[in-house]
Amino acid sequence: MSKRALSIFLLSILPAACAFAGVRHFDFLYEAPTSAPGSVEMENWITWKRGSDPRFDQIDIRHEFEFGVTDKFQLSLYVADWNYHSPDNEGFTFSDVAVEAIYNLSNPVIDPVGLSIYQEIRAGDRLVEWESKVIAQKNYGRWIFAYNATLEAVWEGADLDEREGEFTQAIGASYEISPRLSVGVELLHEFVFPDWKDEENIRNVFVGPNVSYRRGNWFVTTGVLAQATDTRGEADFQWRTIFGVGF
Amino acid sequence: MKKLLLACLIFAGCETANYAPQITSRRHDVDLQKLERGRNLFVHRCIECHTLPPIWKYSNEDWPKIVNDMSHGASLKPADRDAVISYILAARKQQ
Repeated sequence: MSKRALSIFLLSILPAACAFAGVRHFDFLYEAPTSAPGSVEMENWITWKRGSDPRFDQIDIRHEFEFGVTDKFQLSLYVADWNYHSPDNEGFTFSDVAVEAIYNLSNPVIDPVGLSIYQEIRAGDRLVEWESKVIAQKNYGRWIFAYNATLEAVWEGADLDEREGEFTQAIGASYEISPRLSVGVELLHEFVFPDWKDEENIRNVFVGPNVSYRRGNWFVTTGVLAQATDTRGEADFQWRTIFGVGF
Repeated sequence: MKKLLLACLIFAGCETANYAPQITSRRHDVDLQKLERGRNLFVHRCIECHTLPPIWKYSNEDWPKIVNDMSHGASLKPADRDAVISYILAARKQQ
């Protein structure tokens, strides 16, 4: 079989059932394009965080339903966020539910920069979180470059009296090895403000690789981040996997 | 520094627009509205799953089959599919 015929064949069968809202090329960054109107996708997230204290282990799990509303607007519902903490050893506990909206402003291929704006609200009995994000993306051939600027406000605790602000910049690059497989790298730079003050000067940097694979109506993206700074109380290592399936 | 950044952005816009050029034909039999809709669908829907292949990568005979096979995954209705194919063929002719 000639190379041309083979590539046509592969391209034809590839998303013969790619009937879903979209593939994630990154684990810790969002991309600018939004889902096609009428599309529905479920994504399951699992994040394992480990700190310098070997007894510290945290696993966060999210279940997301993503709906394409218009060509430029998508809504997501996180029906249950769970986590597991050690050494509290309380097992898995329910944390919160969340609603997320993304509006696309420009396209990463034909416009100088693809831009979207993002808003998420999380709420549980011990957590309220407000997260706003600007998402930028540019595609060059097989390359995807993404940048997110995120501002979070968090209220935690039994009376929601523990407050924290966080500003994060994240950049990522992904290369499409084949129509099914991409590899990339992600970097996060966090500014943490406990009680909305900068007295502790907490700055965290995380960096690491990722891999994304898609087939039929599903995809899986997995990535690892290692802490490049030396902040105690923050995870030294994070491993996130997102599995998505379209309906 | 700002001028350099602006120059990079302009270059980037020009460079990647080649993957989905705008149709500028003045021919009377060309439905520019349909072709523009096809272009918008091509650059919005296809990149949800993968990066855009250059339109010159496949022949006029190959593209309709490729788009037809991907239409379900890209949520393309028959009219959308037709618009995308028309756009790609017109863009290839223009180059």
